Amino acid sequence: MNKLLRKPSEQNQHDTPGRFERFNLTENPFPSEPVVNKDSMDKRINGDIYEIEIRKKEYDQVANCFLKQPQSSPNHLRLGYIIDTSYIGRGNGKSAFLVNLQQDINKEYCLDISDGINKCFAVYVTPEPGGRTKTFPSFVDLFFKAILDSHVVKESLATLRLEAIRTLYPDLVLDETAGDEALLIDTLNTKEWFEEKHIDLAKLSHHIFQNKYLQNLPPDFPLFKGRNSLLSVFVLQSDLEKHYSGLKTGKQRLDFVFSHLIRLFQAAGFNGAYVLVDDFERIPDFQSARQKRDFALELRSCLFDGLYFNARLGFYDFILVLHAGVPRLIEDAWAQSGMENRAPISPQTASKHIIPFEKLSRDHASLLLKKYLAEYRIDPKVFSPLFPFTEDALSKIGELSEYNAAKILKMAYDLLDKASETIDQVKIDEAFVNRNKGPQQESSDKTIPTIENADSTDLQRKARDPD
Amino acid sequence: MSTIKPIHSVKKFYFLEYFYVLLSSIEKYADKEQVFDSFKILKQQHRLGESKYKTLSSDSENLSKAQVNRYRYTFQQVIDEAKEYELLDADSEGNLTLTDEGKALLLKYRVNGPVGFNQSLFKLMEARYNAFRYLVEFLYNVNRFKPGLLIFPNYSPRQLHFEKSATRTTADIKKYSEALTQRLQQDIQKYLGEYRELAEENTKILVRLVESGLLPANSTAKFDAEKYNVITKRFRDFWITYFLREVYKYEFSMSSFDIWTYRGKQIGIMHATEFYPNFNGRIVYPTSVILPSTESSDFERLFEYADGRGLFVHKPEIERNQDKFVDSLVKAYFDLRRSNRSYFISLSALRELVCYNMKISEHLFETFLEFAYRLNLEGNLKIRISLEVDKLPEETKAMYLKQEPVMVDGRYRNIIAIDVTKGEKIA
Repeated sequence: MNKLLRKPSEQNQHDTPGRFERFNLTENPFPSEPVVNKDSMDKRINGDIYEIEIRKKEYDQVANCFLKQPQSSPNHLRLGYIIDTSYIGRGNGKSAFLVNLQQDINKEYCLDISDGINKCFAVYVTPEPGGRTKTFPSFVDLFFKAILDSHVVKESLATLRLEAIRTLYPDLVLDETAGDEALLIDTLNTKEWFEEKHIDLAKLSHHIFQNKYLQNLPPDFPLFKGRNSLLSVFVLQSDLEKHYSGLKTGKQRLDFVFSHLIRLFQAAGFNGAYVLVDDFERIPDFQSARQKRDFALELRSCLFDGLYFNARLGFYDFILVLHAGVPRLIEDAWAQSGMENRAPISPQTASKHIIPFEKLSRDHASLLLKKYLAEYRIDPKVFSPLFPFTEDALSKIGELSEYNAAKILKMAYDLLDKASETIDQVKIDEAFVNRNKGPQQESSDKTIPTIENADSTDLQRKARDPD
Repeated sequence: MSTIKPIHSVKKFYFLEYFYVLLSSIEKYADKEQVFDSFKILKQQHRLGESKYKTLSSDSENLSKAQVNRYRYTFQQVIDEAKEYELLDADSEGNLTLTDEGKALLLKYRVNGPVGFNQSLFKLMEARYNAFRYLVEFLYNVNRFKPGLLIFPNYSPRQLHFEKSATRTTADIKKYSEALTQRLQQDIQKYLGEYRELAEENTKILVRLVESGLLPANSTAKFDAEKYNVITKRFRDFWITYFLREVYKYEFSMSSFDIWTYRGKQIGIMHATEFYPNFNGRIVYPTSVILPSTESSDFERLFEYADGRGLFVHKPEIERNQDKFVDSLVKAYFDLRRSNRSYFISLSALRELVCYNMKISEHLFETFLEFAYRLNLEGNLKIRISLEVDKLPEETKAMYLKQEPVMVDGRYRNIIAIDVTKGEKIA
């Protein structure tokens, strides 16, 4: 027979119930690899499924001490630390927390959270693993890249143009973009649209340059590209990117990020920005004592007392996320560089700028599982939000995973996967967890020496037989 | 065995320094009350409390009545035991004076320091009781597979993830006790290679707790939250006693075992710790042997028994064993580093590993480390060592205080980092 007409003997069986249907789930709601990947489309791992209640305490502290404090006050906190208090390793939910914090801030530029006091955006920065981000300039490169990724430059340009249009062409109606902010921003960054609407770009630019915040900028600032030429040039985010890469590493780039760029943001109405630095330990982990101190000195000068516009204003508020062991790693550098006086990392008393990131409790574990389960329910009305897990099973899972969020999720994934293979397994109880816990429990101790396999001198033999 | 009787006549204090405190008080005063006053002050100065490194909050002037009574009790215990060793005389009016032995011992402290003092005292104790010989031989007899090592696993509710705030009823305690029993069964299997069914024993302790009124009989009823620590301590003691009596067949009480092992630790002939890394509970092992004689120069005879055997403490000569010590230190350091991401690790955890590996006392560890550290400062060591004072953030205050700190180069040190990249690699 012609291969075009032949069919495989095994057809996909669409009629059989899904593997997870009897658990009232469309699919396994838990991630098989519980690592946050901000750019993934899978909501199980991109931080989208997120139970705010679990980190309410931490969120409230960030909100009260940073987001709600007026940026205009000269004494607002410029540097804070989120410090993991437990030593259970990675996967406590810090990255998920940050990703959500960033989204939360950027949703309304913090205007909603701060009751209109602050208009700020948030940037999420992760140093590169393996020691590639060792110096402050390389960190600034990452920081600038994160600013570009957050599209805030594009949005600032759009804001400036929109304001100019409102003044110069008050009758122009932007109806085609009504209600769609993303489209509006894109539109305002498209030269063709302006030409279509017969807007005089030179006039528009001229108006924008009148903005009081843009007065003291150097003439080569990319916004002014084509200012004095006859051809009007339409500036895009990519122009700033190009300009930055043309600058020399070091002073020039620092000036650009910590002085000039701020003017652009201010002109667009922002009065601050939150820079969330995840996995900060990737930097000091690979630094020598000298590199640590230099890094701390540069950070101090950019944030607090250097000749940068940011140091005067406190525009960027940095929040560094640290693992439990990190403060010890950078203590010396912080003390030597004077950072310890500005934003102490190991203060004697509880301080506002230090946000302890606590270990999960049993209740948190329960909330976490419920949240994931709820996202994938076939019928959202269930008699028990934990189903198919029992309360006892939950306790056991928590205990076995040492209340580490990532381990809990991974274990829930494995257990559900296992249960779905057995037709008559309709619930996951403590006995089922015990039967299927596997070597997981042991694996955590494997690398650590234990007394039963530690070498030890046999004194009796040594005394009897000295050689 | 000649006389093993007195090992069960429990001495109520651990610290041998109490003898020094008493003797120096008697040296100054004869009147018993004055001696007691001086004893109180010196006790404070030498930080002799439940833990040697705990800050004693109350000053000796303003003690509560209960405290004075407790102090007086200890005071009397020390006097009684000192009399047994003929260190002092008491006349009919209760005045105390030092004997020649007492004076000689006091001098020993001043000339040879606490370790020399403890070892001299040890000789007096051993001449009378043979208690240490009994213990050392007991340890070696119990575990032939890992010579002399005794383990007493234990897990607090917290370590088994039962939070205090969520543990309120008899049923909650029962759940904890079942989890505990299971862990202990696993540990017996793992460390001693035997299977023991402990469910019955668990019932025993639960029944006892109910009978003593600490737990309500009704399983859903709440117990007195203030008794939480008492209840968990009961579990701890119950299982330690179980291990001693049933698993290791020790004849005497748990408190006698406690006191004599901790005294042995101060003398340097055995080691006892509750902080061995990655082990929950207590371990005890000897750092000495009982033999007729030994050819090895790494042992020092501390005592000779009537049957010709001697107690030899393991005391490797420093310079000759320096390399061995450094190798052990480096290996232990990397073992601990594997579970800890930073360069600095807890020095006391490292000490536990090295002491067990080399079977040496904590005091000797300190001497070795001091020696190595000096070589390191002079640049004559194949590795680089940094020692720091700062405590690790993971160490809660309580844990920090319970462990004796390591004194090197005149300062207490808590964390250590080692760099082996300098010079040749270590095998």
